[in-house]
Amino acid sequence: MRKILIIGNPNVGKSTLYNSLTKSSEHTGNLHGVTVEEKHKVVKYNDEEIDFYDLPGLYSLNSFSFEEEIARDIILKNNAEKIMLVDANSLRKNLYLCLQFLELNIDFKIYINNYDYFKKYKNNLNIEKLENKLNIKCQIINVKKIKINDLDLKISEKHNNFIDFQKNSINLCNYLSKYIKIIKNKYNIDEKTIILALNGVFKDLNKEQIDFIKSLYPDLIFDRYRVIDDVLQDVMTIQKNFVYGLNRADKIILKPVVMTVGFLLCFFASIYLIFFLIGPLIGDGLSYLVNFLLINPFMNFLYSVSSNIWLIEFFSNGVFSSVLTVLSFLPQVCLLFIFLTLLEDSGLISRMAYVFDDFLSIFGLNGKAIYIMLLGLGCNTVSTLATRNMNEKNLRIKTVLLNPYISCMARLPVYVVIASAFFGAKAYFVVTGLYLVGLLVALIVGYVLNKTILRTENNSFILEFAPLRSVDIKHVLNVGKENAIDMMKRIFFIVLGVGVIVWILSHTMFNLSYTSTITDSILFYLADKISFIFAPIGLNSAGIVSALIVGIMAKELLVSTFSISNNVSSIGALITSLSISTSVVHFNLASAISFLVFTLLYCPCVSNLAIIKKEIGTFYMWFAIISQFTIAYLLSFIIYNSIVNSFFYAIIVVMAIVLILSLVIYLIKKIRSKKIACMFCSKNCKK
Amino acid sequence: MSLSEVKLNAQAVIKEINIADTKIKIRLMELGLNIGTKIVVKNKSIMKKTMLVVFNATCFTLKDNLAKEIVVNYA
Repeated sequence: MRKILIIGNPNVGKSTLYNSLTKSSEHTGNLHGVTVEEKHKVVKYNDEEIDFYDLPGLYSLNSFSFEEEIARDIILKNNAEKIMLVDANSLRKNLYLCLQFLELNIDFKIYINNYDYFKKYKNNLNIEKLENKLNIKCQIINVKKIKINDLDLKISEKHNNFIDFQKNSINLCNYLSKYIKIIKNKYNIDEKTIILALNGVFKDLNKEQIDFIKSLYPDLIFDRYRVIDDVLQDVMTIQKNFVYGLNRADKIILKPVVMTVGFLLCFFASIYLIFFLIGPLIGDGLSYLVNFLLINPFMNFLYSVSSNIWLIEFFSNGVFSSVLTVLSFLPQVCLLFIFLTLLEDSGLISRMAYVFDDFLSIFGLNGKAIYIMLLGLGCNTVSTLATRNMNEKNLRIKTVLLNPYISCMARLPVYVVIASAFFGAKAYFVVTGLYLVGLLVALIVGYVLNKTILRTENNSFILEFAPLRSVDIKHVLNVGKENAIDMMKRIFFIVLGVGVIVWILSHTMFNLSYTSTITDSILFYLADKISFIFAPIGLNSAGIVSALIVGIMAKELLVSTFSISNNVSSIGALITSLSISTSVVHFNLASAISFLVFTLLYCPCVSNLAIIKKEIGTFYMWFAIISQFTIAYLLSFIIYNSIVNSFFYAIIVVMAIVLILSLVIYLIKKIRSKKIACMFCSKNCKK
Repeated sequence: MSLSEVKLNAQAVIKEINIADTKIKIRLMELGLNIGTKIVVKNKSIMKKTMLVVFNATCFTLKDNLAKEIVVNYA
């Protein structure tokens, strides 16, 4: 099967091209570093199968960030055909990577995107001359409209001769011989190793050799750009004042006050529209439709064929109530993703990153964290992966660790349900307040980490500005559709699956017989045994504790567990039941606020934990679990006790706990440092 | 004079790049920032710690701590 890699600088349209060619709907955005891992899909083309790969963007083979490293490794280790997508508006910079490919004698074709924008500003590009100068096939395309048949995908005879270091036919890379000679004069290294090293790939070289070769980079880069300028001299004319990325509107948008006030207004207005106005209307309609078309006919059928209470209860409460309560929030989820896509596609995120960079630097972060946080509003797992476009290790770890404090979509149902139950018309302010608390805690955690164990050594923040673009409504709606499908999958595989298990555990006694009294069940017995831990924060009910445990799997399960426990099958009934003291799960005002804060902060979900472990290691995964639980517990303690006792009492207790914890950590550190010292001692050490 | 001292919208030419961190220096050079490159500071953030610079007709963000290490002349 043919494999074709789509390669290019960040934000040139690789994922859009991939989506057009493979009819996929991978995440795209008008921003640097949207794709952080490779994706591939097989499509049929002229009776043959082609496996297209979408790679993260890279400026150079000399990788600067983790995502560039991924792309570089796939390019160099994969004997596949290569498509280089370049942006006509920043051709000079894009040709740098092309030249590195020519140095390695990698065969590829060049596709030029965004040519319309380039022409609109009266710039000119002679494609034939460019082809002749580079000796590479070039084609102008529009990645949004291209079809697989429009591309010249004839198989190349040369592509198998991967890295054979024959001289390029037009001697574009002659400057290399100078560097090869310098290195050979000093070290006995073969030509292949040298050329790879000159492109940032170091194999079988010692530190001294690597340092020496790296010291040649500035001159080498200068020579590469000299060749690129020679090529472009007769090929391209650019208008004197042409700037790609900046727009006239930026004079207003980039004012910090305009950006901050504009963003906050847009965000809070969107939250109101999505969760308290349009969303619930569509959600209620959807619930009614599902009830009318599916649940009612099925339950009527069940009543007619069986009188088994266990079976009827299982379907009405175990299956349908858990699904229906989460399904009601499907429109809200889609609408929020549409809002995020509008921000991404318009090019506003890179502007936000720039404007907020100063502010975020105070907390040891940089502007890129804005994109991570916005993605986190949708799903923390996705945003954890997106940290791959950060080049500094500590900065990346810090961003991953504070990311779960940003409220994801899955937590919203529980906010809306509890806030509606206890705050009525003021629920909106409670929900937006929770978002702000999450953000505030994330920033404080970032600040503390930056001052203690994860100091940012080099906060460079070099970001290419994305141009402002009109939004493609078709694409935005498509994102909404894709997220709806994604959430449906989550509902059916996670919410339904775990919901059924929760129902069984909450309706089964230890002798494995059915019980309609939930308080007699296995789940409640176990939850009751550990509920004393949550007594100081007002959550010592077995129903609440079991929901919190189940919620670690996925936060959507909190609401579905409540509805199973309280034996209700609609959002309205659930909201009413939560304030009734005879319900299995019920709150008072103090415990409701405590629960909301605890849910906001207490633990990343299982899928996010798996990604945290994969991305930054087991130690930091446990660090995330323990630190989040501690912070959630202490903050809930302060809030709950401030309401039921006094703020002074709450603060004194929390300060005492923090003091004891600090002392324990200090002692552990001391003991560990002694052990490490002993490892380096002589055999006679008696410590 | 360093790049951070350049007035907004005035064209400057890079004379020296003295950025101590080699990795960042190399990356900026790979993006096309080199000796002789014409550069314009388009905007500065509120705390003047980050700036928007344009070179080779493309717009980038640049931290002031790096801009301080780039020596320029007015064009």
